[in-house]
Amino acid sequence: MLRYLAYRVALTAPLLLGTALLIFLAGHYAPGDPVQVLLADHYTPEGAAHLRHELGLDRPLAAQFAGYIGRAARFDFGASYVNPARPVAEIVRQTLPVSLRLAALAVAAAALAGTALGVCAAVFERSAADRLIQLGVIAGLSVPSFVVAAVLVLLFALRWRLFPVAGWGHPSDYVLPVAVLAAAPLAYVTRISRASVRRALAEDYVRTARSKGLRRSAILARHVLRNAALPIVTTIGMAFGYAITGAFVVEVIFNIPGMARVAVDAILQRDYSVIQTAVLVYTAIFTFVNLAVDVSYAALNPRIRY
Amino acid sequence: MSVYRVTALVVAAALLGALAGGWAPAPATGQAAAVFRTPLGGEPPTADPYFATDFSSGDLTLLMYNTLVGLDSAGRLVPEAAKSWDVSPDGLVYTFHLRDNVYFHSGRKVTAADWKWSFDRMGDPAIKTSVGDVVAGPIAGYDAQQKAGGGIAGVKAVDPSTLQIVLNPNSRGGFLNRLAYYAAVVLDRDVVERGGRTWFAARDAGSGPFTMREWVHNDHVTLAAEPRYFAGAPKIARVELPIVTEAQTRLAEYQAGQLDLVAVPLSDFARIKADPVMGKELIVFPRAQIIWLGPNPRVYEPFKDARVRRAFALAIDKAKIARTVFFGFYQPAASIVPPGIPGFYAGYKGLPYDPAQAKKLLEEAGVAGKLPPLTMAMNPIAQDYEMAAEAAAAMLKDNLGVDVRLQRQEFAAFQQGMNRRTVFPAFMTGWAADYLDYSDYLDLLLYSKSPLDRVSYANPEFDKLVDQANAAATESARTALYHKAEALAVEDGAMIPIVFTQFALLKKPYVHGLRTTAALSGFLKFNTVSIQK
Repeated sequence: MLRYLAYRVALTAPLLLGTALLIFLAGHYAPGDPVQVLLADHYTPEGAAHLRHELGLDRPLAAQFAGYIGRAARFDFGASYVNPARPVAEIVRQTLPVSLRLAALAVAAAALAGTALGVCAAVFERSAADRLIQLGVIAGLSVPSFVVAAVLVLLFALRWRLFPVAGWGHPSDYVLPVAVLAAAPLAYVTRISRASVRRALAEDYVRTARSKGLRRSAILARHVLRNAALPIVTTIGMAFGYAITGAFVVEVIFNIPGMARVAVDAILQRDYSVIQTAVLVYTAIFTFVNLAVDVSYAALNPRIRY
Repeated sequence: MSVYRVTALVVAAALLGALAGGWAPAPATGQAAAVFRTPLGGEPPTADPYFATDFSSGDLTLLMYNTLVGLDSAGRLVPEAAKSWDVSPDGLVYTFHLRDNVYFHSGRKVTAADWKWSFDRMGDPAIKTSVGDVVAGPIAGYDAQQKAGGGIAGVKAVDPSTLQIVLNPNSRGGFLNRLAYYAAVVLDRDVVERGGRTWFAARDAGSGPFTMREWVHNDHVTLAAEPRYFAGAPKIARVELPIVTEAQTRLAEYQAGQLDLVAVPLSDFARIKADPVMGKELIVFPRAQIIWLGPNPRVYEPFKDARVRRAFALAIDKAKIARTVFFGFYQPAASIVPPGIPGFYAGYKGLPYDPAQAKKLLEEAGVAGKLPPLTMAMNPIAQDYEMAAEAAAAMLKDNLGVDVRLQRQEFAAFQQGMNRRTVFPAFMTGWAADYLDYSDYLDLLLYSKSPLDRVSYANPEFDKLVDQANAAATESARTALYHKAEALAVEDGAMIPIVFTQFALLKKPYVHGLRTTAALSGFLKFNTVSIQK
């Protein structure tokens, strides 16, 4: 197990390096460069040359990339091109916790509610409740998050004035974005837990447990859920991925000062140093979430060993 | 490990992660009557006025700093940090008499030496500011400074309260208009020099009505009133400027009562105008901005012939675009320089809508029915440009039979294409005034040596008229020359004016004393604003 862990962690280094190279090249070969955006209508050829030199963009690509990687290894990601007063590391330090908190709240909400709904739907299969939940699942999976956001804002923020339209800081600010971000993962977790609980309910050991007189709740908790847990945990891991990527829409709509919104701005402004670092950070997060899911398999199912 | 422990761990980890750091304290929401809340459209890339080229940085500069000369709501020049000025008979020497009650936020009195230092910094070739050419360009000694560094010889602190500026004889016109540019401000030398490269991150170096209290990146900027402001302490205690990037979110926040002043997105204008509540909170006034179509002869061969360019201009029904596409909110543009700019060419008719004449011109040029497909790029920064482009493209197709393809791109790529000048055959874009003066349009957009002459217009006659205007001894002579140049460019089809735009702002009824302007974001300094709920 430890060897496996070490192997997986070691594997992230080339993965990150490869990602960094890809995004670096993509950024530099995409049309539009940061100097043009920065100068906008104050463009002069001399001004552009001066700025390009200041940003180090006039150096050969290989030198730029090597410099970036060398510094990144020491967690120095340079300064933002658009706002040279701000080190990228500081931007990450300020915005990443916001995004992670948002994602974690959404995942927690999706995991708790999704599992509960899924179990309920499986236990009361074909009942009205089941059908209603199924309908909700289809809606959650098929309605895009920006539509969910618009509807929730219209009703809860503008009509009933229960929550703020946008912002970040007060607990009431969290409700709508978390709800929007949790919608799709919630539907997904519900669907998977319903299916896997249903499958477990049909197993022989459940009949045995019932015939020996165990209470229904005990059977559910001790036998069914435990055996149905594996796919659910996988889904929750994936839900984290959903939440992180979904934040790119939600943070912009709800004006949340997280890393996804900063990354969107950076892409539009060709702020290479911020884009590269954001991609690196997201790659690292995804890698470790996947690793955590894999490790949890072994903990959940004694038959799985690495 | 049991299922419960794993599940509990997963959930607990998620919750812990979520709550790490605890709830941040609620930001001040403006419940107190003395807080005024209006959004910034994005994180300001800088708060150094000399590098402020975007609206967010521009708004911060406007609120925290002072220029020598200011503007009132009607666009007239008014004294600001200078209480008065004298101009020599030849229009070359300006002597400014400074107020004796203008203080930096550090408490130090602003003197002529501070202005001298500030002008030198504007032009400093080592840091290449964005205001150098605009403000200091016409001053004698600026060109020498660009080559050799040091100060600008033409700016002199005569005594602590007298500043003298000598102009280059070839560019004396409209100098006061340039000085009223929002970024032509005085900086507190101590703050700038001690703060290093990022001096503006934590504090400002201004003498304006508000001072920076807090800048939470990507979230909000808070400004506090400066009680010693020379024109009297502001009537509000704080300005809250939340950074909200989406126009729709800003509007929704206004509707929910989280903001006091917002710009109206064009797509919502009709709805808001018809709304019984918000319709009454809507304020509409002219903006010094033109939406124009740029024909690029360097890429689209037929545009090399002025008759073809003129035919394109004649084939576009501007009045119809203003009326139907912009529901009468914008005005058809006959000339290039918008109303609101001193000297506006009122009464000039420009090129009329005349498809028959347009076809005739194409025949004369020998390209009737033979025009190759034309790609028209659209500036993506505002919706208006795309709306104008779609309508113009349809009219060109109907009236001239030219197949116009619209090209949508993101801003970075569009900007690069514009600056390269050899990418777009035609483009629809806009131009809003930095400072309210003719030179901000004609000298920049069409003068052959300007880096922003993106249609590569090179008409020696036009250049000569502009040169003469800049050297004109009186303002009226200057205006007459500019009118000639403007008419020449319009009739040459150098650029095709489409519409002059307007500002539409939503202001809560309890906000009083807001002064509007045709420039910038539409408002002047907030020191006269009061909240009376």
